[in-house]
Amino acid sequence: MNANAQLQTVFHLTGRPPAAPLQAISKLGLRPAMLARYRDLSRLRYDFPLVLIQPAAGGRLARSLSDVVNEFVRNKVPAGTPGEAMRRQLLHVEHEIRRAVSSGATGRLSDLWGMAVERVTATGDPQLADALRNAGRALSADGEVIDCDEAMAGKLLAHAWRVVQGEKLGQVRKDINGLTVRLTDILRAEFVRSEAGRTPESLRVSVGTEQQGLFDFNMMARMLALGSPASCLSSARRKRIEWALGVLRSQQFFPAVPAVEDDNTYEFSFGSCREVQQAFRERLPRMAELVKAMSIAELEGDGRYDESRHDAFFDGFDANSLSPKDMEIFPAYFVRLRGRPAGAATEGNLLELLSSGTPVKVLVETDDLLEESSLGQAQFACGVRSVQLASLAVGLSDTFVLQSTSSNLPALHDRLRRGLGVAGPALFSVYTPSAAHLGHLPHYLVGAAAMQSRAFPAFTYDPSAGADLASRFSLENNPQPDRDWPAMRFDYADEKLQRITEDLAFTLADFVAVDPRYARHFARVPHSAWDDHMVPIAEWLAGPAGSNNSRVPYLLAVDAGDGLQRLIVDDRLARAARRCLDEWHRLQELGGINNSHAERLLARERAAWEEQKREEIEALAGAATAAAAPAAEAVPAAAAPAEVPEAAEAEPERSPDEAYIETIRCSTCNECTQINDKMFAYNDNKQAYIKDIKAGTYRQMIEAAESCQLGIIHPGKPIDPKEPGLEELLERAKPFM
Amino acid sequence: MTSNATHCLERMYEDRHALEDYQAGVPRWCTGCGDNAILTAVQRLCRDEDLRPEKTVFVSGIGCSSRFPHYMKTYGFHGIHGRALPIAQGIKMARPDLNVFINTGDGDCCSIGAGHWIHAIRYNMNMTLLLHDNNIYGLTKKQASPTSPLGTRSNTTPRGAYLDALNPLTVTLGVQNASFVAQAVDWIPDLMYDIVSAAFHHKGFSFVRILQRCPVFMPKVFDTWLNDTQKSLILTHDDGIRPGAAISKIYRNQLEHDPSDIDRAREIASCHDPVPVGILYRNPAVPCYEEIRGAGAQRAPEMVRNGLEAEFDKFTVWPEGQQPAA
Repeated sequence: MNANAQLQTVFHLTGRPPAAPLQAISKLGLRPAMLARYRDLSRLRYDFPLVLIQPAAGGRLARSLSDVVNEFVRNKVPAGTPGEAMRRQLLHVEHEIRRAVSSGATGRLSDLWGMAVERVTATGDPQLADALRNAGRALSADGEVIDCDEAMAGKLLAHAWRVVQGEKLGQVRKDINGLTVRLTDILRAEFVRSEAGRTPESLRVSVGTEQQGLFDFNMMARMLALGSPASCLSSARRKRIEWALGVLRSQQFFPAVPAVEDDNTYEFSFGSCREVQQAFRERLPRMAELVKAMSIAELEGDGRYDESRHDAFFDGFDANSLSPKDMEIFPAYFVRLRGRPAGAATEGNLLELLSSGTPVKVLVETDDLLEESSLGQAQFACGVRSVQLASLAVGLSDTFVLQSTSSNLPALHDRLRRGLGVAGPALFSVYTPSAAHLGHLPHYLVGAAAMQSRAFPAFTYDPSAGADLASRFSLENNPQPDRDWPAMRFDYADEKLQRITEDLAFTLADFVAVDPRYARHFARVPHSAWDDHMVPIAEWLAGPAGSNNSRVPYLLAVDAGDGLQRLIVDDRLARAARRCLDEWHRLQELGGINNSHAERLLARERAAWEEQKREEIEALAGAATAAAAPAAEAVPAAAAPAEVPEAAEAEPERSPDEAYIETIRCSTCNECTQINDKMFAYNDNKQAYIKDIKAGTYRQMIEAAESCQLGIIHPGKPIDPKEPGLEELLERAKPFM
Repeated sequence: MTSNATHCLERMYEDRHALEDYQAGVPRWCTGCGDNAILTAVQRLCRDEDLRPEKTVFVSGIGCSSRFPHYMKTYGFHGIHGRALPIAQGIKMARPDLNVFINTGDGDCCSIGAGHWIHAIRYNMNMTLLLHDNNIYGLTKKQASPTSPLGTRSNTTPRGAYLDALNPLTVTLGVQNASFVAQAVDWIPDLMYDIVSAAFHHKGFSFVRILQRCPVFMPKVFDTWLNDTQKSLILTHDDGIRPGAAISKIYRNQLEHDPSDIDRAREIASCHDPVPVGILYRNPAVPCYEEIRGAGAQRAPEMVRNGLEAEFDKFTVWPEGQQPAA
């Protein structure tokens, strides 16, 4: 082994500070080679910033700024050359907004648009400024603009939760209002019929002021007293209706629509699981009360309340009577846990909350995937806690689980909506990189790198999607999910300025390289020392552990001047990458990719099939040989093709002597029943059959057959051989036999 | 919405209705009239779906077919000539929770009510229209209707009808927003039941033309198809209907037709002989007008008053300085 290779091996195995010519990377400002192109994201039109919008039911909860501008350009700006100048200016405004937002500006799109227009047209002509301002007013979306930063996931989820809740609660509130009106109507009708309702004063109030002079209300009251029915509302029923009405009016779960100032609706957004549990427990009796009141109101409104049956049911109706279906109508709770939430106590509360079936939507934001193991420096615990949390939640079976990096959330819009809309609990485990660990990269890129490197893959588990794992589990939009690591084409120029193209894999080591805290796991190798002893880390990881002991893994990085560098990786990080790959393989299997059970089964089936084919070929070959030889014995006759049975729920075979009706074809025309309704009758489907052949004469049977327009009455043979005129009747019967 | 507790009670004390529970009075239709078969199919549907009579309403115009609501023990509205659809639409707007059926004849729907018919298709409100098409005005003793075949002799066309008959299927399929179009014949009652059932389950305006015999004034008009089972073309599909084996044994002329294919549906609808039977077109994605417009608003007196005042306020001329804040 030469000296350079020995130095590299020593660094790889020990992770000790590198000795020259190897170099520590902490002050080199390096980034993984695949991220070389992404320096200034404000110049890139991508998923961010997002505009949080108040959509129509079921619509998008947020749209990217680029999408909003694209739509405007597509629909409102003339195509071709006439609209070219406008398009350029609009893109200029968009860029200005993106730049401002990445610098910390906040606000609604309409406000930011106005400010951006001012900046873009500061020295330009006022007509252009007017046109751009008008364009801003004509945009199809407005709302708070958020960039991909630490607060984004919380803001997006909270907004989405509010919108989805609003859609659901609005409908329930409408139902409650409807029930209130129906109960009020019952009491109002009762009042109108009561003595109090028939007093002259009440009658006067019920007539508009303009017409009051036209009536004699005293006379009217006397007349109504003579002819009106007495009150029909029992005191028990009145009490029941008034109780239900009181509960419906005083409930605090569903806000008034439209909103009112002194709204006393409960709060459903909390900062901890414990608070949710406490609130849920306290409100449970009120929930039972409201469900009971709604059911009573429905039955009373329809006039279906039956005291003899229903009183007992409602007398014992309490919190224990609530079913998951009852719970579905109530608002879901929202909890946001941020930072390092997965401590034992919090985790216990969270899992208890999720497993209880409480309608709660929990956002757990992990801000650090690369934490050191609590057991010391020997292990590199990559995202262990957050991954464990999501896996545990999947194990609960009836919890919706979504795992994603914050940068990927816009792409999972539909899944977010689904999770917030499902009736049961949902866990959203999101990696939101902490600003302290970003190094010199933007927040978005770090999040994207976590997903690309399989450090924090996206997946969803939706228990409502079906009964099996294939329906429930989805690997979502992880890049190249069937590969170990996603690979992308990478072009660079060598020392002779010749283009070199490589397929570069993005591994966990690449992701770790963006975090300055872990620079010690890498050492830069000068160009002069590049040799075959070094192997790309993806290739190194592809073999079984220990198979590449003679070589050292490296990854490609670029420095501030876009110079290409090789960084060798120490063994601790390489082992962490191998564990990350194992974890990814497990997820792949859950997602139906390279499933080991399926592959074993497939191999077994293939072997069996090949064996069967082999035997068949041998048999054929044997038969061919025998045919070629003089026939020694007769070849058995080929089996006759099996008759395909006719799918028949089959009318029984009838004897021509038997009288019957093809009941299934009867069109209820009454012809036969009018001839003799004892002989012919209708079945449960109101189709005719012969009820009692002895209840009538053969003549009536023939008349019925002749009058039936569908010709479905078959008279058979007469049962009374002495009936007069039989000869003629039998002749008439022939067409129907 | 019905709460789960109410569902629970309904299951505990299930009161299912028998077919006879939907029967009101004795139909006055002539013996042999195809309306009887339609009545039976609808009553079977009500029983099988356990439609609550107080949640079901039948609306009709004028004609033999329009006596239908009298024979259903549900809510009913026997309207005026050609106006069944506007009445039904009003009911649906006010009470979207009701099951609304319309019974109309070829004269009622395709002549005096044609304007309402076209727009009802376009509005696509969730209700089921059964067009009892016997090719004649029967109640008024035989006058030619829009669907009377060319040459039909009647009191108004003693020398025979001068015009080709209107095809209600092609008309319906030509209107924007058509979402369910089917044809049934009264002489295959099982398929008629399947088709009416599919129409009921379709969310949107279901148009079902039912060829129906009038034994008194048009006794022979359907004989061609009645006497030869091969002249009925049964449209089958997993998204349409699948006749049972007993029916398939008799009606062997079957065609696999995907109801989402509107072009093919139009071709089939134009076919006169054999007569197509089944679901020609279905598109559940067409929005319903009552949902677009948020029908079913509560009408408590306070709400009506507030709504009216809000409307009046838009046109009120306020004295100087007294205009309320917006």
